[in-house]
Amino acid sequence: MLNARRLEAVRLRLDGHTVAAVATRTGLSAPTVSAAWKAFRQGGWEAVPVRQRGRRPGQATSLGDREQGVLWRRLAEQPEPPRPCWSSQDLADALRAETQQEVSPRAIEHWLEAQGLKPSPLSLEGLARKRSIAGRWVRQQVQPVLEQVNKAGGAIWQGGVRVAGPATSVASLPRRYQLYLHGKRGALYTRCLPAPPKADDYLALLTRLAERGPVALIFHGADFQASPEIQRWLANHPDFHLINVPTDAL
Amino acid sequence: MTSLTHLQRLEAESIQIMREVVAETENPVMLYSVGKDSAVMLHLARKAFAPAPPPFPLLHVDTRWKFRAMYEFRDRMAEETGMDLIVHINPEGIDKDINPFTHGSAIHTDVMKTEGLKQALDQYGFDAAFGGARRDEEKSRAKERIFSFRTAQHRWDPKNQRPELWKLYNTRKHKGESIRVFPLSNWTELDIWQYIYLQNIPIVPLYYSAERPVVERDGTLIMVDDERMPLEPGEVPMMRKVRFRTLGCYPLTGAIESDADTLPSIIQEMLLTNTSERQGRVIDHDSAASMEKKKAEGYF
Repeated sequence: MLNARRLEAVRLRLDGHTVAAVATRTGLSAPTVSAAWKAFRQGGWEAVPVRQRGRRPGQATSLGDREQGVLWRRLAEQPEPPRPCWSSQDLADALRAETQQEVSPRAIEHWLEAQGLKPSPLSLEGLARKRSIAGRWVRQQVQPVLEQVNKAGGAIWQGGVRVAGPATSVASLPRRYQLYLHGKRGALYTRCLPAPPKADDYLALLTRLAERGPVALIFHGADFQASPEIQRWLANHPDFHLINVPTDAL
Repeated sequence: MTSLTHLQRLEAESIQIMREVVAETENPVMLYSVGKDSAVMLHLARKAFAPAPPPFPLLHVDTRWKFRAMYEFRDRMAEETGMDLIVHINPEGIDKDINPFTHGSAIHTDVMKTEGLKQALDQYGFDAAFGGARRDEEKSRAKERIFSFRTAQHRWDPKNQRPELWKLYNTRKHKGESIRVFPLSNWTELDIWQYIYLQNIPIVPLYYSAERPVVERDGTLIMVDDERMPLEPGEVPMMRKVRFRTLGCYPLTGAIESDADTLPSIIQEMLLTNTSERQGRVIDHDSAASMEKKKAEGYF
């Protein structure tokens, strides 16, 4: 109904009617008439109708046990290469493929947040302004590396590993170890493991990231210095800059 | 007449015990394990004999496997207090390279702690040794008297203990006997923390929560304090926010996940906990090596 009137408003404007006259004849407000006219001039007739608000028809309002089971199962698996971890879009696609359930990536993100699986990335710009250990670390150790990788056209990631789920040791609740990455604009990529990740798990992640050229990865939550396998891998990949978040920087 | 708080009563009792020991024995020593109880005991000893330094040395029976932060703290405190610090390591343990990984916690504890303590007491001829054990730590400690008599072979007989009615202590000992004295027997873990807070007593930073590299062993979080800790194939220590309720040899001491990085938050955590701090000690989990059995053999 709204879109029909917007189209009518554009036709009347094309006939030479003023915005005020069109508003009176269509019952729309003057700003709406102007917006429809502007949309027509920028994108033609196709741009005039507004997108329907709310969920698309058939899209789920909540995730049932079956859907959640699918998501947990997928999170426990390693995604197909070259994806380093599961993005919300990947999970939504996987859910659609398996259950024919339409779920938006945003809904997946809400679900991840509800499960305690949505860590926030470090605000490097904010930290850089601070006169603290963290600020000094960003200015002296992080920013020069990021500039170098940016100049080389590489990718910058943040990531980490943590225990997700119950903070205290409740025997009845399973513990999950979450590997996560934050890409451009803080986009989350994640996967879960039933035990603390081993060197092979980290190496699988690093290898996939390294396939895309120079990489700077700011990582929190693992003591890579203690792992000879990872140290060897890093020595063989000079374009991969792994920056550990120091314990006193947070 | 002013009434004392419960902490003041405990403090007064501990100071009285220390003075009693110094008056009644010839060669006392304070066992210093570098933990929070030792920190409180040392503080009480300094109070008991102020302005002079306490008239006995500190004895640290070292196993070579304590946390690095503990060694740094021990040396700093010895320097600050001006007390003599005796560090004894069982030379047999060094020769045989006894360690918790190859030999297991039971043998490591027996050789490096129990035998090491007995050697040190014999070597220096100490007839009384202060220890920071508390009754609330463990059931065998609960039934041990404040003045715990040991035979010439350092054995403890739990069925042959002296009554300590009205806080009167019988310090008479037979030739060769020695006494282990526990001035903090009646303190609880919460009392210790409250006292540390009120008296601003320095403690090892490991008691405060911080991100530390840990690995899981049988459900216990073990901190990877140095490169001697053997990792499983492919294992990568995780950085987790943990703290310690009790400190011992690092491969045998479990950390707890906690955000308590100040004394008030630790006290708050204490108020909510319903487990003993000794739950974090791997050596206490082995039923064959129960505390009572170890104590009977001379363990502190």
